[in-house]
Amino acid sequence: MVAGQLPELIVNGAMISAVYALIAIGFTMIFGVGGVLNLAHGALIMSGAYIFAVFSRNDMLGLHSALAFVLTLGVIAVLSLALYEVLVRWVEENPVITFLSTVIVAVIATEAVLTVFGSPTMGMSLVSRNSVNLAEYGISTRIRWVQILGFVVSWIAIGLLWYYITQTDDGRSILAASMSERGAVLTAVNLHAVRAKTWLIAGTLAGIAGIFLGAADGATPQMWLNPLALAFIIVVIGGIGSIKGSVVAAYLIGFLEQFTVTFIGHEFRGILSLILLLLFILYMPQGLYGREYVHD
Amino acid sequence: MTSAKDTFDRGLDRVLGPIERAFSPVANLFNRYLGPYFGKLNGLQFLLLAVSILALLTAELWAPLVSGTMFRTLALASIWAIFAMSWDIQSGYTGYISFGHSVLSGIAAYTTALLLVNVNPEMPFVVTAVLSVLASLVLGLLIALPTLRLEGPYFSLITFVGVLLFYRLTTAYDALGGIPGFSQPEVFTWDPVMRYYYMLVPMLLVALVLTFLARSNLGMILVAIRENESAVSAAGINPTKFKIWSFVLSSIPMGIGGVLLVGFYGNVDPATFILVDNSIEMIAMAVLGGMGSILGPLGGAFLFEFLNEELLGGQSRSVRYMILWVLVLLVLVFARRGLFRKIWHRLGEVGGDRR
Repeated sequence: MVAGQLPELIVNGAMISAVYALIAIGFTMIFGVGGVLNLAHGALIMSGAYIFAVFSRNDMLGLHSALAFVLTLGVIAVLSLALYEVLVRWVEENPVITFLSTVIVAVIATEAVLTVFGSPTMGMSLVSRNSVNLAEYGISTRIRWVQILGFVVSWIAIGLLWYYITQTDDGRSILAASMSERGAVLTAVNLHAVRAKTWLIAGTLAGIAGIFLGAADGATPQMWLNPLALAFIIVVIGGIGSIKGSVVAAYLIGFLEQFTVTFIGHEFRGILSLILLLLFILYMPQGLYGREYVHD
Repeated sequence: MTSAKDTFDRGLDRVLGPIERAFSPVANLFNRYLGPYFGKLNGLQFLLLAVSILALLTAELWAPLVSGTMFRTLALASIWAIFAMSWDIQSGYTGYISFGHSVLSGIAAYTTALLLVNVNPEMPFVVTAVLSVLASLVLGLLIALPTLRLEGPYFSLITFVGVLLFYRLTTAYDALGGIPGFSQPEVFTWDPVMRYYYMLVPMLLVALVLTFLARSNLGMILVAIRENESAVSAAGINPTKFKIWSFVLSSIPMGIGGVLLVGFYGNVDPATFILVDNSIEMIAMAVLGGMGSILGPLGGAFLFEFLNEELLGGQSRSVRYMILWVLVLLVLVFARRGLFRKIWHRLGEVGGDRR
């Protein structure tokens, strides 16, 4: 049986990991550049799902999915930037206050969603609800179009981000600021502009992740918690501040979770990840591709 | 040129000055005998403290005049004050923020329920209570030993992931009661007045002990860890040891609070005890009152519960909490030291250095 389930595991693992990577990259970029652990990251993902639902559902605005997708990304990017400009910017010098105020923003968002939409799961559709049957290729699983699209969009986003950060001057200033703020400032990088850009990018990625999570399983007011926990785990394992590390660790955690669900049991999902996280924190706190948590 | 604020400050001093002078002899008496252990007060601070304690002890006389549910609110506030103070001695003092404190009270509650369900339904309260608090202590050590060796944000990350996982486990397993939980534990009493005093007395004792500890050398080391951990190491003190101590000190009252909360509701379920929102609520209370001051979080808990249960009682749950969280956010940004700490220090300034 085990061998028979292996292809299924690989396909499902790859699909879920692609979304995990999107969740973690935004979180790690904000930490890398500003040294801010944004606990409201999960709330941005949740907002992405709900705003997409408002734009696309036929009983609401009823826009075409593609248009709703683009509009949602714009709204979340602006929300993310607003979070930085209105709140985080003024408290970021104190990590404890940043921690607490961003988590309070997340619970405010939860209560706002509860007030407006109520607690039931809110469904939405991005592409056809049909699924592809892989039985003819010898894999006994069905794979939904929304999963395939999520995988493709995730890699397009990662590719664009990679190009922007390594190949353009504008993007390289983000890289520079994450390596050494003082060095970046000395080479005429506008630190505030770099931070604003980082929050915009992180917001966009969170928006994409939110739409795919919402389209796959529906949106709930508590859906910010698990993505945030995943972002923590992935970012620590990948190395805080490293985009490459986030992608690698996202796939590691995605496959590990899929493995747990397939072979051990649904309720143990997350436990192996937590054990892995503990091992990394104790023996390799800098993560796979990261540096030590130091600030100068 | 004098601004409106200066004028107001001077007016306040003029009003409060005579009161301060009237009470400073008693305060000095307190300072002479108890000051070394609990900190020095001026007349106004002494008056505030004495009036607050007296008001809490004599709630029987005035609470029914405020509203019919006031005893319930005060009892809940007493339990949550224990949680907020316990969180404070660990997170507020050392700066290592825990997002998972509800697990510590939760394990105490679950221990009580599991003992009654699986071992002996007639087990006396003393035995279940002691074992439950012990369970909190053990779990606290299990969390603290590996995680508090680390510096930086890792501790907070682990506590956050830990509480989510614990919640998932308690909802997934029937042996742990699942989502409905256990209804076997008995409430202490159905009489709201007695119930309030059952919650109040342990709360005051916890406040007394924690204030004493926070004012001792131990509390000073914990604050030093928050301000500059490497300086603590350089002074020849092992910060890890004291961080673990602070967690132990925090888990014991968390366990006591958990046992009291079981006696309040008579039911043990994940939503009442483990949910991550509960941990955030403790933090919110501590922030409102003022982190790193023990008595600040106590005041914060009473303010939070009063707003939640009495003032906003007519609103739906989500609207109430949204208002409360926005208030907490405003305090975090504009009054980082907290409301009660601000009042306390303002009172302390009256009368200058005459003490």
